[in-house]
Amino acid sequence: MLQYFDPDKDYGTPASVSENLITLEIDGVSITVPEGTSVLRAAAEADINIPKLCASDNLEAFGSCRICAVEIEGRRGTPASCTTPAEAGMKVTTQNQRLGKLRRNIMELYISDHPLDCLTCPANGNCELQDVAGEVGLREVRYGFSGENHLQAEKDHSNPYFSFDPSKCIVCSRCVRACSEVQGTFALTIDGRGFDSKVSPGQNQAFLDSECVSCGACVQACPTSTLMEKSVIDAGQPEHSIVTTCAYCGVGCQFKAEMKGSEVIRMVPYKGGQANHGHSCVKGRFAFGYATHEDRITQPMIRDSIDQPWQEVSWDEALNFAATRLRGIQDKYGRESIGGITSSRCTNEETYLVQKLIRAAFGNNNTDTCARVCHSPTGYGLKTTLGESAGTQTFDSVMYADTVLVIGANPTDAHPVFGSLLKKRLRQGAKLIVADPRRIDLVKSPHVQTQHHLTLRPGSNVAFINAMAHVIMSEGLEDKAFIAERCETEAFNAWRHFISEERHSPENTEAITGIPAAELRSAARIYANAKNAAIYYGLGVTEHSQGSSMVMGIANLALATGNIGREGVGVNPLRGQNNVQGSCDMGSFPHELPGYQHVADDVVRARFESAWGVKLDNEPGLRIPNMFDAALDGTYKGMYCQGEDIAQSDPNTNHVQAALRSLECLVVQDIFLNETAKFAHVFLPGSSFLEKDGTFTNAERRINRVRKVMPPLAGMQDWEVTQALSKALGYPMDYSHPSEIMDEIAQLTPTFTNVSYKRLDGLGSIQWPCNDAAPDGTPIMHLKSFPIGKGHFAITEYVATEERSTRKYPLLLTTGRILSQYNVGAQTRRTDNQIWHDEDVLELHPQDAEDRGLKDGDWVGVTSRAGETVMRARISDRMQPGVVYTTFHHPDSGANVVTTDNSDWATNCPEYKVTAVQAVKVTEPSDWQQRYREFNQTQLGYLNKARSKETAAGK
Amino acid sequence: MGQHQLNSLIKMANQIAANNTHIGDETAEAEMVANHLSKFWARSMKAQIRDYLESDGSELLPIARKAVAQLN
Repeated sequence: MLQYFDPDKDYGTPASVSENLITLEIDGVSITVPEGTSVLRAAAEADINIPKLCASDNLEAFGSCRICAVEIEGRRGTPASCTTPAEAGMKVTTQNQRLGKLRRNIMELYISDHPLDCLTCPANGNCELQDVAGEVGLREVRYGFSGENHLQAEKDHSNPYFSFDPSKCIVCSRCVRACSEVQGTFALTIDGRGFDSKVSPGQNQAFLDSECVSCGACVQACPTSTLMEKSVIDAGQPEHSIVTTCAYCGVGCQFKAEMKGSEVIRMVPYKGGQANHGHSCVKGRFAFGYATHEDRITQPMIRDSIDQPWQEVSWDEALNFAATRLRGIQDKYGRESIGGITSSRCTNEETYLVQKLIRAAFGNNNTDTCARVCHSPTGYGLKTTLGESAGTQTFDSVMYADTVLVIGANPTDAHPVFGSLLKKRLRQGAKLIVADPRRIDLVKSPHVQTQHHLTLRPGSNVAFINAMAHVIMSEGLEDKAFIAERCETEAFNAWRHFISEERHSPENTEAITGIPAAELRSAARIYANAKNAAIYYGLGVTEHSQGSSMVMGIANLALATGNIGREGVGVNPLRGQNNVQGSCDMGSFPHELPGYQHVADDVVRARFESAWGVKLDNEPGLRIPNMFDAALDGTYKGMYCQGEDIAQSDPNTNHVQAALRSLECLVVQDIFLNETAKFAHVFLPGSSFLEKDGTFTNAERRINRVRKVMPPLAGMQDWEVTQALSKALGYPMDYSHPSEIMDEIAQLTPTFTNVSYKRLDGLGSIQWPCNDAAPDGTPIMHLKSFPIGKGHFAITEYVATEERSTRKYPLLLTTGRILSQYNVGAQTRRTDNQIWHDEDVLELHPQDAEDRGLKDGDWVGVTSRAGETVMRARISDRMQPGVVYTTFHHPDSGANVVTTDNSDWATNCPEYKVTAVQAVKVTEPSDWQQRYREFNQTQLGYLNKARSKETAAGK
Repeated sequence: MGQHQLNSLIKMANQIAANNTHIGDETAEAEMVANHLSKFWARSMKAQIRDYLESDGSELLPIARKAVAQLN
């Protein structure tokens, strides 16, 4: 959507979405605004800036401070302009002697109970109270300062990122309203009345002890220094800012990186960010300190074997060492004996370059991305059914949804900013159905109550979605007109025949899914009968042996009910990492060139061959799990791994580690010596998102700019490193800026034809497809047709996973994420987010705990057919009996030692969500953990030796 | 020929077959499986599963066997 407002200006109240325009007169200026616009905002849009304190344009008008009082012809008194809707013909005066005196009187009262320490206040230079005092011309405080006041109120420093100083509070309620209206947590309230009124986290608790999720909305809303970032208290106000994109989850929030020189002082969510509209979560807002953490490695390193210490070398030496080793392996074992992996944490330009290097310089298609282990089934399933490997909507589209079906996703933890938007819509009355084995926060949160929480058993997704479709078809709830007009008739008839079979009924699948048939029928009716019904799903859908079938089953449901091709509906994969969508778009998969163009297509390949000046292989390459198998068989010997930590994130750790050990050359490019790098022979220092230019593509296909705000600590941006490696391999690339890489992507990718940095800077962001057919991008997909013409109903037979509970392994383990940590934790573990989650724990139902004699906090051994690890037990009624849950944010917890090599039939996406395990009380770490600790110490010792040499040499 | 990869390939081929046996027409089902293998498997993987079919093939499901036989 195009913007018509200045994101750096606060217009006081939210914009009205009304299409009816009205005209009024403010200070003699004729102004036309949408009906429902406040007088305050109408004035601001004409650059008539009425002083305000309690108003902010991300919050509903509140009318508490009265500073924005105005006169309106024909009306008595001085109404607050924030709570007064503009009306046609209204004549408003915003400045005169009467109003000036009124405002000064109000400010006088505020300041009589406010510390006069402006020069030493952290907000000095960026304080709305100070600004308004100046605007109204406050010159004296006749009441004095000796009366009863709040100046000695106790400060709360409990939160690691911000302080709460109630002595500075003017009780404007902006923080309380931000927590409620924007974030939806309702952690803050105004406690007491009159003079005793004060902001209270929870029930007069410290911030850290309250329900506060540290999203930062309150800090941002505060007009004084009552809620203030500790980094600003320490360093002072920033002096310049640069808009960039968060490198955490797939929401793609934009932030202003507020700087002093090359130091980031704070990250402030950018109101112009088209995915986040000025909101944030604890990770993007505060957890950026990892970028300058002492663990950052800034010097290239090499070694002949992983049993040797590292040796710090120059960039040239490291790159030549890597190139010589990789070429030597190809000479010895063949062209296909090496490959590479990129990460969804990398930019589009970086992932594009890595796959180009592999295809052009390595001469094979052994390229893959970590999307393999999360959303590869989304790519397969949506391409098969809808014709494009991407979600269909914008995030904002949820505000038009009447029913929301959330399957296998935990938005408030894993996609918090979208989670807040979703909760806002639910508070407006949209219905919610959650299908999840575990009771996620969304099931019941303040003013949100799900209609149905379908607690399906892990591994039964396809049986569930088929049952939903069975109800819709057998009860005649399908959208016949949509199906007739928009879908393939033959495929639909075959699917209708399949899905109508009685074996798919909720009654017949109840034994598989564990969902009471009546409840499933009710949920299916709510979904099908909604005017607009939207499906949001996550890794609880994809990370199964039938992940691709489930994605197709979801698409079938949307097609059958006509919930595709407009606002408020659709199929929405919530992508785990910042650039999952982009890494897939950029041709990181071994069978597809950028833009999902198959390598076997001669016409496509010819275009790339012409642009790249090299012959390309017409056969797919190895996927990540295939690479590991080939490594263990001795046919895959070298790998370039950029930004991904496969040793921690991939399943069956013992298998992965054995594969990595068998490599003759592993080149790791990362910002830290991650778990994978401990098996590497070459370490190339990477750059954080703050140190480079590029783009990320979020879960709504939105291409956002990443802008360099500080120089790369190691001297090179990641794309420059790949380019230098390619040159060392004898395939020189010649880009001087990532914008040139994007120009090449646009040239070769039909869905990116009109994308360029210039257009991204102009439009703010672009949702692909962006080409001559859609010059400014495509917010909502499939409006009139599908890329494959008609929607394709795919037959989704339920095939039970081989991973099922047995007498030996009676529990089903499912893994996931929490709010404060991110993926393998390499970033967030190096921030104060550790305060919330410093170890992974095993959540289990009270009955399962009692059966095993386990108490909360006990050490519990978790064993599967793949391995064993030990973690602490957390007894939780979130779990259903027979199902246990953990996260994988800490390497030492070894969550993936237990997960198996079972994977999705179509894409090899691992089945992280179903592992049969046993849990028993233990007293010591597992054998694996003891081996890991020893290996880890050895490898850190090898790193320290290299670093101590550097110190000794006085570098 | 490595056993690790072969074991995985047999399992994967059987999984693909199991997820595509719903048409009731074995020829069409085998063709779907063969198309999938052709489109997504690496050259070395196809060669290995073909060699296995020629030398043994006993662990492959019937549809998977038919599909592998169709690979070029």
